[in-house]
Amino acid sequence: MNPGLLKLAVVGSRSAYGRLAGIAGGVAVGVCLLLLLWGGANGLSARDDRGAWLRETGSPSVSVPRAAGDPSGSGPATPVPLGSDTALMETNPAEVFRDQLISRRDFAALASTTVKIPGIGTPPEPGQYYASPALQRLIESTPRDELGDRFGTFAGTIDDAALPGPDSLIVVTGATEAELRQSGGAALVSDFTTNPYGGSAAPYNTVLSIGAIAVFFPVLLLISIVTGLGAAQSRERFATLRLIGASPQVVSRIAAAETAVPSLIGAVLGVGLALLLRPAVAQIPVNGTRMFAADLTTGWAAAAAVVAVVVAASALVAARRTARAGIGPLGVTRAVHEKTPTMWRSVPLLAGLASMTTAIAVTRTPHLRSPLLEMPLLIGGFALILVGIVVVGPWLTRLVSRLGLRQARSAAAVIAASRIQRNPVAAFRSVSGLVVAVFVVSVFAGASSIIESTEAPPTTPGLLQPTSLHATVDAGHTPAQMSEAVRHAKEMRGIRSATVGYGPAALSDRDASPEIYLRAADAPALGFQDIPATEIVTVDTSFLYFWTTQPRALTPVPAANLDGMVPVVIVLGTDGTPEAMDRARTLLNSSGVTAHPATTSPMDTGLQSPTRLIQGLAVLSYLGMFVAIAIAGLSLAVATASAVLDRKRVLGLMRLMGMPVSVLRRIITREAAVPLLTVLLLSVGLGFLVAWLMVTGINDTYRMTWPAPDYFTALGLSLLLALGAVTATFSLIRANTAIAATRFE
Amino acid sequence: MSNHDTTAPILSARGLHHSFGQTEALRGVDLDVHPGEVLAVMGPSGSGKSTLLHCLAGVLVPDGGSVTHCPAGRAPLEISALGEPKRARLRLTDFGFVFQFGQLLPELTAVDNVSIPLLLAGTRRPEALRRSTDLLDRLGLDGMGAKLPGELSGGQAQRVAVARALVTSPAVLFADEPTGSLDSLASENVLTLMLELVREAGTTVVMITHDARTAAYADREVIVRDGAIGAGYRVSA
Repeated sequence: MNPGLLKLAVVGSRSAYGRLAGIAGGVAVGVCLLLLLWGGANGLSARDDRGAWLRETGSPSVSVPRAAGDPSGSGPATPVPLGSDTALMETNPAEVFRDQLISRRDFAALASTTVKIPGIGTPPEPGQYYASPALQRLIESTPRDELGDRFGTFAGTIDDAALPGPDSLIVVTGATEAELRQSGGAALVSDFTTNPYGGSAAPYNTVLSIGAIAVFFPVLLLISIVTGLGAAQSRERFATLRLIGASPQVVSRIAAAETAVPSLIGAVLGVGLALLLRPAVAQIPVNGTRMFAADLTTGWAAAAAVVAVVVAASALVAARRTARAGIGPLGVTRAVHEKTPTMWRSVPLLAGLASMTTAIAVTRTPHLRSPLLEMPLLIGGFALILVGIVVVGPWLTRLVSRLGLRQARSAAAVIAASRIQRNPVAAFRSVSGLVVAVFVVSVFAGASSIIESTEAPPTTPGLLQPTSLHATVDAGHTPAQMSEAVRHAKEMRGIRSATVGYGPAALSDRDASPEIYLRAADAPALGFQDIPATEIVTVDTSFLYFWTTQPRALTPVPAANLDGMVPVVIVLGTDGTPEAMDRARTLLNSSGVTAHPATTSPMDTGLQSPTRLIQGLAVLSYLGMFVAIAIAGLSLAVATASAVLDRKRVLGLMRLMGMPVSVLRRIITREAAVPLLTVLLLSVGLGFLVAWLMVTGINDTYRMTWPAPDYFTALGLSLLLALGAVTATFSLIRANTAIAATRFE
Repeated sequence: MSNHDTTAPILSARGLHHSFGQTEALRGVDLDVHPGEVLAVMGPSGSGKSTLLHCLAGVLVPDGGSVTHCPAGRAPLEISALGEPKRARLRLTDFGFVFQFGQLLPELTAVDNVSIPLLLAGTRRPEALRRSTDLLDRLGLDGMGAKLPGELSGGQAQRVAVARALVTSPAVLFADEPTGSLDSLASENVLTLMLELVREAGTTVVMITHDARTAAYADREVIVRDGAIGAGYRVSA
């Protein structure tokens, strides 16, 4: 192709610069977002990899031999001795500060140990601790009786290489072998796993893949929309080129080149923009912690691949569009009629719903359950629904516009409804990004609503109060330690009661009772109301567990005192303030009487429940949602501007004939509003349906409730953005349909 | 020859000047257009014909001079002194326009295209559709109302454009090369039908054309050269 001709075609007029700048700008934004999101996905993966060692569970620290002469029985447990290649590790199930979960690992090892703890090296000495920088900052900025006293003496910080992110709260404490063996919960470790997901890899990857599809899809839509900017004006110039002898192939190649050039410029700009924005984006907390800026790196090969694919795809699409338009020497020789959308367009959507429903059915059929079956069905179903909404949109839009045309009374309504009816695909394309964004938002809002329903346990008599903490008492405690702990607790601000439960043996002992013995006088402090008129009462130990939902009753015991019993549990009742809860936790952890260093309250257990995963992903998703909505708003503005530019001649002539600009504004507004509102309700409904399918697919005990207020804010924001995007083009209408502009077209 | 010269002009231009940058398109044009007459404006390309038509129709505001519109039964109105909203309203109610290309909205059926000016003027849609269909019938397009512009021949599309221009019963019809894109047979057909309707309604026509055969349909023709009316009015035979 002649370079001179190409130059003339690409930048042959002043208006061409605006179009090229629009394409380059839109592609730059799209590529930047694509790379940042890709980097984010890589970052999440790198983060999980670095934190994989925390999933290490080790091997049992005791061996239980078969009982002689009884194959089904077992003999007394004997400790497996520590060697130089092993260390004892206890994983604290719920070390909590305020509403944050601290990952705590207690280690005991021989002086000659060769075990290396990630980010530290040799295990800390008893009484010392290593903390992540974020936790150490927290410890230093908080009163010691609320946090610092739990861990001992600071020995150093954990290296970034063993931290998921800069905000990770991790502590590794040193203990004696005897201390860890007493609890019976310690395990032997010699090295640490590098598998970050373990058994929950399948649902995690499923939700992550669905999130990635949901966020990438609007970005691809944006790129697709901006590269089609000013297509009608291009067709006029191509007609001129055909008139002066250019063949259809040459015109197609020029179309490809004139889209490829700004796309290339935009894509390269997008790569630069992504590089510049990376440190800022890394500051956004995802799933409770920010990322290291290096985590967001995609690598030059990936960036080059994105640039190449975007440029090649946009060039190919432009060439194909031009070839299909049938541009002859006198203009477009055949009217490019859209194929009338039919109800067949609902097939992908229905197939997606069927796929997800099947996945749920499989999940609930034990003999069919398999991640190999569930994952593809869920991910594939979600992708099909997403594509299905975009595919079915034009058909629904056409149905509504037909109805609207019949009812139309004004010129604006007739013109808008007619255009939508004739070009439902083009009309819907302009709002497809927003519709998809609303769908995505609804899915995430629905999925995260289950958190709201599980994280605020009610206060119920007969169940452990949400504001209380308990700890099982170590078999080796001294009575002096016990009374000191109770006395100390009662003196602390915010702690209202310290109740000791008794039993014939420690709860970890083989002779432990299934019941806890209490002084009846202490029962009201635990929230009991119907208290038998005896000195001593018992309650089932299941009273202590957060998963107990049926209130437990007190049973009278015909005894006058607790002689012969030992303390087995201590329950601290607090005023419910975060400071008091943390003081209580710290007191129990550092008292030396508890069998496990951590104590739990029903509220803390929410931090460890599997719904935390969904909550974390919901945070990530809300982030994605705002990106999606912003992109969608941008796409709508671009598409609306494009709709004005493509019809500037005919709209200009309408103005010349006396049509006021206000009518043109109403036309443009209606053209955006009809397809948007038509599919918006469908998007919301489908979003919640898919959310329900997803969360029940992960765990059928989850229940969805009303979405958080954020959702309604997001919906309002979407509509405001749509309004803003459309009104932003109003100035374009006036300028591009001005009579002077039309005169010289 | 008609007796239009004896009546008060419906449009009167005095001393019209208009420039586009350094280029002077009109240099002191005086022109009267009488009610009911069909005036052909001829002249070479770039002579200022379209600029004159746009100034007369209130599309452009001349740099100098004035254009006065004297509608029957209403006070004279100096178009060149009105703001754009009032000129737009005037164009909608008192004037009609036919262009050479691109004047029909491609997504609207023929009858909807014709009804748009009525809807803009506040007519109810059923009434607008009825009047539009009647007019299409009179222009020989009966049964074509539901067609899209892309499904019509050039001559048929131009007749739809004529119907749209006349549906509001304008006082003046401005036509810029109305048959410029048609073959001679279609041109003759469109012109005959258009003039039949305008003469019946007493509508004034200002028609720009390059074609002497088209100009021959006019009552009177003026020639514009270098932004000025040529040596005197030439009255057609």
